[in-house]
Amino acid sequence: MASPPLTTRRDALTRALERWNALPATARFFILLAAAASVPLLTSNDYVIRIAGNVCLFATLAVALNVVVGYAGLLDLGFIAFYGIGAYTYAILSSDQFGIHWPSWASLIFIGLVGLVSGFLLGSPSLRLLGDYLAIVTLGFGLVFAQLALTLDRVELPWHPGVIINLTGGTNGIVRLDPLSFFGFQLHTVTHYFYALLVWLALVLIIVHRLNQSRIGRAWRSMGEDALAAETMGMPTRRLKLLAFSCGSAIAGITGGIFAAWQQSVFPQNFSTDVLITLYAMMVLGGISNLGGAVLGAGVLAIAPELLRSPELARLIFYAALVFGLLLFTRPRRNGLLVLVSVIGLGALLRLGVQAFAPDWLSPPTLEVAAVSVSTAIDRFSQQFGIYVQGWIVLLKEPLLVGNLAFAVMIPALLALSRMKPGRIKLLLTIPAVYLLVFVWETRLAAEPAVTRLLLIGGLLVTLMIFRPNGLLGRRKVEIV
Amino acid sequence: MEDFLTQLPQQLVNGLTLGSVYALIALGYSMVYGILQLLNFAHGDVYMVGAFIGFGVLTALVPQAAPLLPPAIVIILMLLAAMLGCGLLGVGIEWFAYRPLRNAPRIAPLISALGTSILIQNAIQLTLTANYRVYRTEKVIPLAAGIDIGDLHISATRALVILAAIVLMLALTYLVQRTKLGRAMRAVAIDREAAATMGVNVDRIIVLTFFIGSALAGAAGVLTGLVFTRVWHTMGFNAGLKGFTAAVVGGIGNVPGAMLGGMLLGLVEAFAVGFISPAFKEVITFVVLIIILLIRPRGLLGTAVIQKV
Repeated sequence: MASPPLTTRRDALTRALERWNALPATARFFILLAAAASVPLLTSNDYVIRIAGNVCLFATLAVALNVVVGYAGLLDLGFIAFYGIGAYTYAILSSDQFGIHWPSWASLIFIGLVGLVSGFLLGSPSLRLLGDYLAIVTLGFGLVFAQLALTLDRVELPWHPGVIINLTGGTNGIVRLDPLSFFGFQLHTVTHYFYALLVWLALVLIIVHRLNQSRIGRAWRSMGEDALAAETMGMPTRRLKLLAFSCGSAIAGITGGIFAAWQQSVFPQNFSTDVLITLYAMMVLGGISNLGGAVLGAGVLAIAPELLRSPELARLIFYAALVFGLLLFTRPRRNGLLVLVSVIGLGALLRLGVQAFAPDWLSPPTLEVAAVSVSTAIDRFSQQFGIYVQGWIVLLKEPLLVGNLAFAVMIPALLALSRMKPGRIKLLLTIPAVYLLVFVWETRLAAEPAVTRLLLIGGLLVTLMIFRPNGLLGRRKVEIV
Repeated sequence: MEDFLTQLPQQLVNGLTLGSVYALIALGYSMVYGILQLLNFAHGDVYMVGAFIGFGVLTALVPQAAPLLPPAIVIILMLLAAMLGCGLLGVGIEWFAYRPLRNAPRIAPLISALGTSILIQNAIQLTLTANYRVYRTEKVIPLAAGIDIGDLHISATRALVILAAIVLMLALTYLVQRTKLGRAMRAVAIDREAAATMGVNVDRIIVLTFFIGSALAGAAGVLTGLVFTRVWHTMGFNAGLKGFTAAVVGGIGNVPGAMLGGMLLGLVEAFAVGFISPAFKEVITFVVLIIILLIRPRGLLGTAVIQKV
């Protein structure tokens, strides 16, 4: 009997990472920075540059959040409020709201100070609290901020009765903010703001990286691993926590200021809990206390929703991911191929059956291929592909009820399948399950792109945590009991 | 001052109604936390699903004309269906999203919980659309019905909510304090490994805890629907947050604490709305929360845990 091979399998991701990690850190940093900076040179499409700017914005926030949560181990759920405070401070200092127009550099420095101080003020009483209690106090702070932003449009000063001040503009927000301008150069295009955000991201990355290499960074990390042990070793944990908290808040504040200048307005819903959840997802996706990971996570989660925006493109990505996933996760590989062929066969059979017995249930394909003059090759390809799929699947005239039922059956079926032991039965059951998934996609999900996007993000978060609980780039910590 | 005294009893009733719902949600949070040290962010969405199950039963059994069954039975059926459905949902969530992460770093199940919450919300939005649904409570409980004590009018719906919550909480207290199952639950909460060595089937206890906690959330959903009539797919977010806050105020992991915290939170909110300003409801609630936590960092009934190194 042959003994199993002793070498363990390494997945492709790990191998690629090892090669990349062999480069010196500075080189890696500048290669990535140059690649990012060349985005506006490669495309003149404002939409693409706007997404790139968004990636930088979210990456900066994720890095700042990483300082608080990843390094110092403080579960801060009020982080978004500091971002909001920064944005509102900028809005008040550079708009007609009170007729104040500070120069940009002064506003940004002032916002940094405001962030630092407000972080300190929230931090100093609440850092007494441990873990989850800190989480709830900061979460409360975030909600209070959101509500104040909504309700502070009619502030009555008790010592000046009758005078009503509009501080935040309520739901209408504050609009027509001054654009950023440095040394007489005014930033007014998307590209300008992209570069401003990129420079700010690079700056923050360098600062945080240097901090992390310093005495303070080492202290933070040791505190994140085990606060009690760190304190016993003589570290001033309270001061260190406050410092991390305030640093994170200050960075978030300045980023908020740049954001406000970019969109030239601030609204309460820009700082909702959804944004906070997205930020946490970004940070965790990349791996906690990993700066590169935070940037990568921000990239993935800021770009993915945009890719799914066009239904045809989303369809293409969906099927590509499905085929890829099937071939990757079934062993041996030919089983994946087998399932794929069977699903196509099953679909064709069902379609023919419905066509033979109840042809008036079927609806003709709803797609058409756009003319060559108005669309790109990839658009036409994805539309043509969509037509083929719609001709293959049982496309119903009244998809709502059946689609919803299929969706309700699909979720438990997929969950149950994911937990079955591998074997012939699982393989057999995979065929109808995949067909069901495709059917639901075509009947319901493709019609509701916004919901589908969120469903996918939710599913992604859960599956990612199950398969790589330390994030994409995270390393497994050794737990000492 | 005159105004204050006349309004006080009514706001008290409002606060207790709200507090009952919060307390039921907080119990699920607190019980799960006590056993797994896990913040189950999907709990609010379980509550929302409960409200929708209740809505389904109500609409099915009470058509436009006249109810098919006596109102009392309809309400009991709604509660039972929602509790069973939500209990199973909770067990499903545990099995799917949390069990594989039992030994992962603490933030991993938190993110998994966020993901589950997004999944449930959007699954409901996809199948039932994002519209408000309205409970036709007046078909089972006449609007005018109620108890009059002097000037104070307690509507029958509110009385029902408070009563149902009290009954459920008493049942839970009995379960936790007096039965073998409750003893096993307390043992697992104190020390999971030691309980396992003593022959407690830890996995089964965790599943049961999720079932009970989620069933309570489901009941809370139905009760909310009966009183406030409107249900929608994101109603779980705010309610979950309030439940979590209530659990923390009472001392997280502590069953009587969750009840106390929920009632207190409901009262604070009702008073804030009634006497100060509805616009500053959340601000006042959280200021109170922060003050309580600063005075008693472990919550009202929480005991200082001796940290073992």
